[in-house]
Amino acid sequence: MKKPKVAFFDFASCEGCQLQIANLEEAIIDVTKIVDIVSFREVMKEHSDEYDIAVVEGSIMRPMDEERLKKIRANAKILVALGACACMGSVQRMLNQWPMQESKDIVYGEGDPKDIEDNPYFANFHTKALDEVVKVDAFIPGCPINRDEFARVLVALVQGKKPPIPDYPLCVECKKKENVCLFELGKFCMGPVTRAGCDAICPTYGSECEGCRGFVSHPEENAYAEVLEKYGLTVEEILQRKTMFTYRYVEKAKKEAKKDE
Amino acid sequence: MKIITKKEFLVFVDALIEDESIDIEGVKAKGEKFVFGSLESADELQLDYDVTILPPKKYFLPQYETMMTFDLSKPFDVERVEDPKPRIIIGVHPYDIVAIKQMDTYFLDTHVDDSYLQRRKNTLIIGSSVLNVAEKAFFGDMRTGSVDSGYDLMLTDMGDKIAIDIGTEAGEKLLNNYARSVQEATPNDIQKVRTIIENTSAKAKRGLLVKPQGWHDLLEKNYDSDVWKSQAEKCLGCGTCTLVCPTCFCYDINDEVDLNLTTGKRIRTWDGCLLRNFTKVGSGEIFRERMEDRYRHRYNRKGRYLPDMLGFVACVGCGRCSSQCVPDIADPVNLINKLAETSQSIKKSEATPLTAEDKIVSATVEEPLHVPRPATLKRVEKLTELETFFEIELDDGLPLGHQPGQFVEISVMGFGEAPISVSSAPNGNTFELVVRRVGDVTSKLHAMKPGDKVGIRGPFGKGFDVEALKGKTLLFIGGGLGIVPMRSLINYVLNNRQSFAEVTILYGCKKPCELLFKEEVAEWETREDIQFMRSVDKCPEGESWDGEVGVITCLILKVKFDPKDTIAIVVGPPIMYRFVIRDLINLGMPDENIIVSLERRMKCGVGKCGHCQINGIYVCKDGPVFSYKDVKDLPEAFT
Repeated sequence: MKKPKVAFFDFASCEGCQLQIANLEEAIIDVTKIVDIVSFREVMKEHSDEYDIAVVEGSIMRPMDEERLKKIRANAKILVALGACACMGSVQRMLNQWPMQESKDIVYGEGDPKDIEDNPYFANFHTKALDEVVKVDAFIPGCPINRDEFARVLVALVQGKKPPIPDYPLCVECKKKENVCLFELGKFCMGPVTRAGCDAICPTYGSECEGCRGFVSHPEENAYAEVLEKYGLTVEEILQRKTMFTYRYVEKAKKEAKKDE
Repeated sequence: MKIITKKEFLVFVDALIEDESIDIEGVKAKGEKFVFGSLESADELQLDYDVTILPPKKYFLPQYETMMTFDLSKPFDVERVEDPKPRIIIGVHPYDIVAIKQMDTYFLDTHVDDSYLQRRKNTLIIGSSVLNVAEKAFFGDMRTGSVDSGYDLMLTDMGDKIAIDIGTEAGEKLLNNYARSVQEATPNDIQKVRTIIENTSAKAKRGLLVKPQGWHDLLEKNYDSDVWKSQAEKCLGCGTCTLVCPTCFCYDINDEVDLNLTTGKRIRTWDGCLLRNFTKVGSGEIFRERMEDRYRHRYNRKGRYLPDMLGFVACVGCGRCSSQCVPDIADPVNLINKLAETSQSIKKSEATPLTAEDKIVSATVEEPLHVPRPATLKRVEKLTELETFFEIELDDGLPLGHQPGQFVEISVMGFGEAPISVSSAPNGNTFELVVRRVGDVTSKLHAMKPGDKVGIRGPFGKGFDVEALKGKTLLFIGGGLGIVPMRSLINYVLNNRQSFAEVTILYGCKKPCELLFKEEVAEWETREDIQFMRSVDKCPEGESWDGEVGVITCLILKVKFDPKDTIAIVVGPPIMYRFVIRDLINLGMPDENIIVSLERRMKCGVGKCGHCQINGIYVCKDGPVFSYKDVKDLPEAFT
């Protein structure tokens, strides 16, 4: 069997998910045994536009990003969204709460607006996830990604299987690890609506889950909101928590509410 | 009963820990909670704990268990993974011992689970009387606060000394070999122990209005109660109540391939019926999609289905589900009491949590339960865009030995396992399957060639009772893929044509290109000793069709049969049953003359993993072939 060629790309992101892959340590050698890495800015100088699998980190913020992503899509047989930014828009999606010009005024307000007017690098629009621009074949969620999960997905793709991303709440992994439930410690956790697959790493170390892997396909949002209220959060506070990584869902809910009106 | 000082008891535990050939597990603190974990010193042991986060079931059915390893570079190389290290668990409360006995019955009754049995036989249980009662515990109500068997030793911590009740010879040996200064208990000590147990049991009562003996009737009467919906609306569907439950045993099995693409393992992991995808089959259908159905299922399984199947109520009153459910809707006491408020005169049954038998001694393993036998693909033929035909031979040269209507679990190592109906009549050393491409396993199968190796488990389930059908007039009604299992019986009947009265076959599919077994169908058409008709829902442009056009029910009206004296064999997609059965009954056919074959997620094939349950029955064990009269009143059968 010919080894598939893999290329890594990044858009608006911290590139931390690619760093996770670079940090696979010895396992990176195994990775190179099953795929040919033809482009990976963090670890090699070489680049090639001939690839089968494009692994793309980051969110889409500008027309030039859209153009570049579409080219990558056209070149690749399989396109993988890597990490929370690529899958959902993540932290930078918080921007979408305000009109774009308002944000630009705050960020670039001091100077002459003409300086950035025609500059494509500053032509930001509201944050988009990859699948809002092109077709995405596999999603590896998380901020950062779980590198073991990356390896599992890569194996599945090479074998022609569906990527093994869980579709049940984080509580399942937390319970299997016998963690003390954070709600019992008086904390607020997004585990009950968040997609598992990180092995509950944050709750295991006592940190609240902030939903960096996005929601399960059918989150019980009403029941969850009721729980948060019961534990003393206001609706605004609940919304605020959802804004950090998962504003995409808030936007979706807002759109649906508008439709209902 | 024996007595040992606290100091000598700790010496005893430390002596056990020092013996590196044994794994010593006990109750330890985790923050303000407690867990069972590996003991590094006797000081860690917390005999005054109230309840642990997870029950000791994790030692017998681990959260993640490598059941077997495989090597894809070899033709078929699967090795069962053993877990032979002896283990002692210290501090198991009586209610958890009751749960372990139930687990023994569940895993060792029929289709003995060999990995479970090995771990169970390698484990000694040192129980401990409850000293502090957890807030939500109700083992007093369930009468599981004390046990008289199921432990090797039973401790009662009396402060400066510990009473030890010897349960088995193995327990006695342990005491003899590792403990010093063990003395006989005085009548006063024995009385003290009794008082401790009585006091804690009395404390662990929370006003349960209906005793476990009445749960069966209460749940049966309240199947359609509004309580399910109003409770389920608050449910997060997170699965916690099932995962932390000592009597929830459902599991899933998945293959993991290493980064070298060559070696890998098949892993068993906990699953739970509250999770949305629990009943999801390869084609994407979810059979318990509504939360209230999943929520209701859990209680019915505990209070009705397992009592019917194995004779015990599968709740021991530990209170874990209640205390760990974030929206606080999982408490059995609360739920039972809610149902009881609107119900009168509850009938009592025999079932209590304590009726589980001792299975551990008598259980014997015939063959590893989950390890497939190697087999070779002899013939592979593409039938349609989605379906491929396989003729398979077991490598040990033995015939499969199936009845028409049974199924096998077919494995492609590294991809997983899928339940597939046997499509051939029992005949010769090979058997035939027709596989629709829907998921990883079936897609991989479609890419395989003659000579390639697969794994086979089975045959499983109850097939068609051919003896009972002999001499009868038969009406086969097959829709879509339903013709596949049905063909095993059709071919049997045609091979033994003189043993049956009149035979009619009605076969319908969506469009002409989906018709399976085209050559055989052509032969059925020309046979004079049977009546055959076929239909398509519609014939799209570009395809040709000379049979009937319309849904399969239109064929029923076109054939003549005496409904009272005909056995109808109906197999097809869920939607088909509703209409076909309705029409047959309208024609005057009695329920017992209708035979159906049902499909669910038969993951393990042996009645253990829980996925294929339709109310109280397991499709993999009690079916897939059923008499309509036996399943028509099951609300989940034809949804």
